[in-house]
Amino acid sequence: MELTLLLLLPLATGLLGAVLGNRLVKPLAVLGGLGTLGLAVGLALNYDTALGGSQFTVDKLWVKPLGIHWALTIDGLNLALVVLTAFVYASVVVACALREQENPRLFYFHLGLGASAVLGAFLAQDLILFVLFFDLMLVPFYFLVGQWGTGDRVGATTKMVIYTLAGSLLMLAAAVATGALTASHHGQHVDFLISNLQRLPLGKGTQQWVFLCFAAAFLVKMPAVPLHGWLKDAYKSMPLPVLALFSGVLSKVAAYGFLKLALPLFPDAAASFQDLLLGIGVLSIVYGSALAFTTNDARLVVGYSSIAQLGFILIGIFSLTSDGAQGALLQMVNHGIVTVALVLIVGVLASRAKGSEDLGSMGGIAMGAPVLAVVFLIAAFANLAMPASANFVGEFLILKGVFDSVTVVAVIACLGVAMAAVYMLRAYIRAMHGPDTNGVEQRDLSLREALPILPAIALILALALSPQPLLKRSEGPATAAVIPAAKAANIDPIQTATAAQGKR
Amino acid sequence: MSLTTYSWLVLAFPLTGSIILGLGHKVLKGKTAGAIGTSAILLSFLSGLGALRSLQSRPEESRQVVSSLWTYAQTGGLDVQFSILVDPLSLLMVLVVAGVSTLIHLYSVAYIASDEGYVRFFAYLNFFVFSMLMLVLAGNLILLAVGWGLVGAASYLLISFWYRRNTATKAGIKAFVINVVGDVGIVLGAIVIIQGTGAVDLLTVFAKAPQVWHTNDPQIVVGCLLLLVGAFAKSAQVPFHTWLPDAMEGPTPVSALIHAATMVTAGVYLIARMHPLFQIATTASDVGAIGGAVTLLVAATIGLVVTDLKRVIAYSTMSQIGYMIMAVSAGVYGAGLFHLMTHAFFKALLFMAAGSVIGAMAGEQNLDRMGGFRKVMPITYGCFIVGGLALSGIPPFSGFFSKDDILLGLGTQGGWYWALYVAGYVGALMTAIYTFRMIFRAFHGEPCEEAQSLADGRLFHAAEHRNPGDGTLEDTGVGYPGAKHHIAERSPSMSISMGVLAILATIGGVIQLPKVTNTLDHFLHPTFSDSPKFGLAIDYNLMAIGMVIGAVLGLLGIYIAWMIWVKKPGTSARIQARFALPYKLFSNKWYFDEIIAFLIVRPFAAAGRFFQRTVERVVVDGAITAGPISIARASSAAVRSWQSGMLRAYAAAVIVGAALLVLYLMLQA
Repeated sequence: MELTLLLLLPLATGLLGAVLGNRLVKPLAVLGGLGTLGLAVGLALNYDTALGGSQFTVDKLWVKPLGIHWALTIDGLNLALVVLTAFVYASVVVACALREQENPRLFYFHLGLGASAVLGAFLAQDLILFVLFFDLMLVPFYFLVGQWGTGDRVGATTKMVIYTLAGSLLMLAAAVATGALTASHHGQHVDFLISNLQRLPLGKGTQQWVFLCFAAAFLVKMPAVPLHGWLKDAYKSMPLPVLALFSGVLSKVAAYGFLKLALPLFPDAAASFQDLLLGIGVLSIVYGSALAFTTNDARLVVGYSSIAQLGFILIGIFSLTSDGAQGALLQMVNHGIVTVALVLIVGVLASRAKGSEDLGSMGGIAMGAPVLAVVFLIAAFANLAMPASANFVGEFLILKGVFDSVTVVAVIACLGVAMAAVYMLRAYIRAMHGPDTNGVEQRDLSLREALPILPAIALILALALSPQPLLKRSEGPATAAVIPAAKAANIDPIQTATAAQGKR
Repeated sequence: MSLTTYSWLVLAFPLTGSIILGLGHKVLKGKTAGAIGTSAILLSFLSGLGALRSLQSRPEESRQVVSSLWTYAQTGGLDVQFSILVDPLSLLMVLVVAGVSTLIHLYSVAYIASDEGYVRFFAYLNFFVFSMLMLVLAGNLILLAVGWGLVGAASYLLISFWYRRNTATKAGIKAFVINVVGDVGIVLGAIVIIQGTGAVDLLTVFAKAPQVWHTNDPQIVVGCLLLLVGAFAKSAQVPFHTWLPDAMEGPTPVSALIHAATMVTAGVYLIARMHPLFQIATTASDVGAIGGAVTLLVAATIGLVVTDLKRVIAYSTMSQIGYMIMAVSAGVYGAGLFHLMTHAFFKALLFMAAGSVIGAMAGEQNLDRMGGFRKVMPITYGCFIVGGLALSGIPPFSGFFSKDDILLGLGTQGGWYWALYVAGYVGALMTAIYTFRMIFRAFHGEPCEEAQSLADGRLFHAAEHRNPGDGTLEDTGVGYPGAKHHIAERSPSMSISMGVLAILATIGGVIQLPKVTNTLDHFLHPTFSDSPKFGLAIDYNLMAIGMVIGAVLGLLGIYIAWMIWVKKPGTSARIQARFALPYKLFSNKWYFDEIIAFLIVRPFAAAGRFFQRTVERVVVDGAITAGPISIARASSAAVRSWQSGMLRAYAAAVIVGAALLVLYLMLQA
């Protein structure tokens, strides 16, 4: 029951605010955000790590004739991501509450709906439920871009709709097919519980097209190159705090989908398409990084950097090793936190540069804004996976997993490590350093601006000191997620020295 | 207190110092920040001495101690503790780093006094020292990579310290990116080593290495070559060196501390630390030794012609580190580390003295504009002479013994190491020439305007300051180069720290006098006891010959410099005209920057632009995105209405669905 409450809290407070009127909407939304965070942290603290496995499980048959369950659970795989979502939502709601919003009732309703949907997707243990939440989480963002966005809103919405609709419909079809085919294949009633589906694998041929449908939906959402065509316009027109939520957690649902569904349910297909997905991952890393160091738009630096970072996450997962999956999970959390900080910092920078988000109109502000300079520096260093950040540990594990599995991919991915240094520092220097030729406003971070950013920075620092709490809880499930596919691909998922020795 | 407590304190003081300075940047006034920063490092150094005493009181076989504070990252086959390894090698580095850092902090108290970023400077400097100590104390491969990366970051921050200068930010990003390439080398090297041994803890790796790998096993050769990429990037060895001369954009104390005495020697430390692996991967060791030899010669030739005072010393640093890399790669560990130590003394001294000259020149660094400072800056001049004699390897100064020790170690091994031996002596001759070229040009000859002004009792100020790098007008609002620059003759804290280093540079050789003391070798023995080459019997005839050759070449070099730049001015122009081709090659720094730009920077930039302007527009926006959309749009109005209608219906359906879901749940409950 706790999980249903957690899931519905953002939506409920948003709805309540929309009903009760303009005056209460902000306090209610903030309360909802902090409440969600409190609940999520409480669950994490009460999660019995020694016991492991699924806890706080809710499982009710929901739509009986179709075999769809209202099944939610917390396990080592989604625990950190659930907390991350609650954290990002809380930061974003606080950031929104500290600025003026047009039509706040609908705005916070959509924001809450988005957060609930993301939480639902992370918690869902039923395939159809997952798909429903996955599709649901896009709807509020269409409206948020369409109504509160800037620039070419129509174009941005159209692109987003076309892309994600294509992916979603494929996934819906694939999900239904999975349940139906599994039932007919094994002569049982239709049932969509992921754990049940996992016990009854499909034939290899079927797995392959179903897997590709799921992969298409996930790759669009991440996004991965070359399916990222919607990103530029959507990023450009989204209000900044909304972008923080969108970029911080929505892309992680897709990456999580690979670990939660695509690998365990379709292991043979995952094994046979391993090279394809590693290729897409590496392409995303290199291409995304190259875009990030040639754009002058501060917001797009963050956006293109996300493409590259999710490329790392993708190759980590498709290394089909325990280390790779662990690194990918850690990196999802890290990237979520860092992105929130970076997106909100872009907002601060723009407010100093007469509202422009162009790097060319910034510069030379570090002298007048030392706190901002340090905060941005920490976020930038974390994003480029500076050793000593938790991002470094995540990236290290990913590279190790990929190196053990398909060495050449890891070597190419290292280009991305160096390129990240280039695009991140380039953006930092152009925004903060250099002569003050553009007459930017030399004003440091105000308390109002700092409030939603500093928690993210504190979390970056805390995780840098010890990423272990995250790794400890996810080790078992992350390994379990890759084992079937790794077996199919003939890869030792837990590389040990003896295994490496045995191979030679 | 126990050994490990002392060792953790070594790390804790600089970190605390940096945090206090960072948090207090608004409230700390006057020279408080300098005092806090300097005391933090001094306390760290004293803790290092405590650790030394404690370590020496242990029996020799238990002088390698690992201490762990918490579990950092543990998953799968990886078990990373937040651990340090205290042994003679790491402790030697701790003492050199913390010791020299203390003096440089003291120097900076005055040198940087007029800068608006005074507190920030000491915060960064403390953070750097913490990072460097983290690097040398790291107990496993991951923490080593952490320290390795952090010093790169600190170095970036300090190179770009005067970030209003575009030259400084450019130099910073260049240094950082090349260092990240080195980090990648370390990371991949670590992965290969973990793959082989299944361990991250250094001592475990060393213990398993001989069982896992046979001599020149391809896996460990690749692993060590990757580590060498890291070592070469950090230690500015060819072809990863181009960032170091540009790093001279940083304030001079930074050049002294990071880009001469400590960080750039990290590569030497790495090879020495990893010696059990490099001894198995002999091919990688040979690559390292040859790389060091090439660097020492290339850098020395550039040092002969470069006209920027600090860049002469920077190329000299590259060259001297080439000696050390050559030494430790060839298994001459004791001598390599001995030279690391003496070099830290005399090179930091030279940079500090150069800082004093640059102060007198009000920021100008061009040797062509300097001259005649000898009489008006006696302390600075004296320090330059002491540092120069040590660098040139003139007995009895410290550099003489350490450089000779390296070459003796190489010669003793014979075989193709003779080539390295000869390269070392050729380099030694060039070293003496470029060192005294620099000294004679700055201090002898006709007094320049600035020296004249100093003789009249006032420090020179320029009416307007221009960036020597690109000629742009400086923003003096940030305090540099302000009106209140400093020289050693007028600042006790500068002259005291220079004086201490001058003494060390003079007598530092006594801890390793061949046949007499050998203290350093004895001290380091517990770390290198597994090395067959360590403490190889010395050929005393070779030693005597080497010492004579070294001393003669050093004196010869000074004589040549004196002839060219003092006795017969104009000789150098004639030599330049006579040997136009080599001169062009040397003064263009062997075209490394141009080659790297051509091979790496430009292709990447071009690819980025191509992706951004062409691929994004034509393929992604055009074929993949706009194609389907425009087909749908263009087909007919019916399709259009269907599409938008469907979007609305779709969104509505989902919201209705969500509402029903809530309703259903309410009813269920």
